[in-house]
Amino acid sequence: MRYSIITVLIILSVIFMISSCCEGNIEPEAQNGKLSIEFVHYNNGTELIFDSLAYTNEAGNNYLVNEIQYFISDVTLHKPNGSSILLNSWSDIHYIDTDIKETKTHTYRDEVPEGVYNSISFTFGIDEDKNQSLMFVNAPESFMFWPENLGGGYHYMKLNGKWINEIGLQAPFNFHLGIGQIYHSFPDSISGFVQNYFGVNLENEPIIIKNTETTNIKLIMNVENWFSTPHIYDHNYWGGDIMQKQDAMQQAVDNGNDVFNYTIN
Amino acid sequence: MKVYRAISILVIALLLTGCEDKTTPTPHIPTPYIIDIPFGFPTELNIPIDNPLTVEGIELGRYLFYDGRLSGRTHPDSLMSCATCHRQEKSFEAGIDHPKFPGGFPFGISGLHTHHVTLPMINLVWNKTGYGWSGFLYKDNPNENMRNLEDMVRLAVLAKDELDGDTTQIKELFQSIDGYPLLFEKAFGSKEITFQIIEKAIAQFIRTLISSNSKFDKYMRGEEQLTQSELNGFVLFTTEEGADCFHCHGGYGNPLFTTHLYYNNGKDTIFIDPMDRFSISNDPMDHGAYKATSLRNIELQGPYMHDGRYSTLEEVIDFYSHDLKQSPYINPLMHHIINGGIQLTPNEKTDLLNFIRTLRDDEFLTNNEFSKPLKFPDE
Ligand code: HEC
Ligand code: HEC
Repeated sequence: MRYSIITVLIILSVIFMISSCCEGNIEPEAQNGKLSIEFVHYNNGTELIFDSLAYTNEAGNNYLVNEIQYFISDVTLHKPNGSSILLNSWSDIHYIDTDIKETKTHTYRDEVPEGVYNSISFTFGIDEDKNQSLMFVNAPESFMFWPENLGGGYHYMKLNGKWINEIGLQAPFNFHLGIGQIYHSFPDSISGFVQNYFGVNLENEPIIIKNTETTNIKLIMNVENWFSTPHIYDHNYWGGDIMQKQDAMQQAVDNGNDVFNYTIN
Repeated sequence: MKVYRAISILVIALLLTGCEDKTTPTPHIPTPYIIDIPFGFPTELNIPIDNPLTVEGIELGRYLFYDGRLSGRTHPDSLMSCATCHRQEKSFEAGIDHPKFPGGFPFGISGLHTHHVTLPMINLVWNKTGYGWSGFLYKDNPNENMRNLEDMVRLAVLAKDELDGDTTQIKELFQSIDGYPLLFEKAFGSKEITFQIIEKAIAQFIRTLISSNSKFDKYMRGEEQLTQSELNGFVLFTTEEGADCFHCHGGYGNPLFTTHLYYNNGKDTIFIDPMDRFSISNDPMDHGAYKATSLRNIELQGPYMHDGRYSTLEEVIDFYSHDLKQSPYINPLMHHIINGGIQLTPNEKTDLLNFIRTLRDDEFLTNNEFSKPLKFPDE
């Protein structure tokens, strides 16, 4: 791990030196544009209102959402001819926090060749190779760390809220996704880990990238879909916490496939 | 560790030399002070551009921090310094056994009690979120005078329940004390003392108060092993089905042991404190919310919580275990509320406590560079 921090430092210093001391002799790259994503959060088709008990999921749980924090990585644009471009600079493992405005739009660092793309895909969370403990030492990403003994790395998502439980009390739920565990005997003996990150593939309007321009798209998380199709997710059944409940996280992963869609701004 | 340190120095050297400007040096160039980033710690620091750390600035700041004349008074009975309430051996809190403040509830020079108990000064250079229990000092504050540690120095000096001083009187007093003007010149280039420079010097000193050598740090770096009980406690601390402290208080991936964020952790049902997080954020969910303090050195930092309601860590653990109070404002991360708490067994409580004790850093508590200077400049 130490080495990757060092590598980042070296790369940063090199970039710094190049950009600060050799100005003027780099020609702008031709035929490339940029992609910028605005991350928005909906519930039942309209913008999510936080801390409001206005929502009922498929299982009938009346609930509110307090905050959502998650990672999106490996964003890839695909052309109809099958070619694709992966935006995977280190800084392009992007963290979104509904309480931090700056995280809710991200202009990808990697350049995108000009052209018409007909779909976009990404990893929800962080894949196994990249999801290494201590790779984010700075806040707010560092606050997403996933405990070592539960598999390490980072939470893919924290979706925190409350629901009205069976006895009418406001019960908190921490709908947290990350590396799952297989227990030999709960909770002390873990015999294996499960990578729960998953790929999302979206096809809607064509995404047109133009030379030297930035194309803006809106990536929409439809929160209610975390709790339906194919599984009806019931907070009363799973309780307030799921980091150590692989069966619950598996439902979330399966449900996650239709949580996102996009529109062109 | 060594390699890492060498590289960071190299990088900084490159940065400094990469684009040197060609101005001729002035006679008093203070020596830059570089913070080694400890293993696993954030690389981003809260150091304002207009107050870089220098060896001379820190030295001056340390004198001022400990000098009772910072109250602007010289009579032995009315001396008060930052260190009166922020004691090194208590991780720069007042401490429950404070000689002047019974139970660790401090009062200022005028006898007025502070609104909350003290906060520690530990690893504050990594706090980019906000200072104070409610985070009333923060980066984007529309009030430019309420943003950073520099401002905290002034606020503490002016506060009726703290030094109750007068900035003009204080700067004039220090101007007249032998030895100080020279230290100001060495650090900031002029013998003429301004209060703004006093703020800068003390803030610099506070930014060097770094703790990164507890037993747990050594465990993280692979230098020392934890006992079985400490390890059990660590697992409890970092599991949802266990004690679930890590979401707010950090762990291996966040060795500051705080998020510096504000939560209502379920102590009450009625919230009437006019200085909670709500008073700053105006977010209704922030009623009764306060900063989740770092648990480093926490065993020395009683009394606990913003109002000092618990005297021991045992009481705090009992509270989290079965005394949580339901309210609409309790933070969702306190999901154990439906059972009234985390319901630890006596053995688990011992394990959790033993783990929390591994966060004590004796080197920090006794480091000579942080302690009261042997002599003041005029002695
Ligand atoms: C009479 C006791 C007292 C004295 C003297 C005092 N403080 Fe404090 N200090 C406090 C209390 C109480 C708090 C908590 C304030 C709050 O948020 O309610 C505090 C908080 C702080 C904090 C915030 C730490 C954090 O984590 O946010 C800093 C920094 C600080 N003091 C610096 C100083 C400096 C610098 C001086 C000297 C100029 C000083 N204090 C003198 C009582 C004192
Ligand atoms: C939801 C976030 C949250 C969780 C989870 C949480 N805490 Fe806290 N903790 C806080 C906040 C906020 C405070 C300060 C509250 C106040 O002062 O009123 C605090 C204060 C404390 C203090 C006293 C700090 C001081 O300086 O006085 C201790 C000790 C502590 N917590 C330990 C724990 C332990 C042990 C756990 C796990 C059993 C835990 N906390 C879980 C948010 C949390």
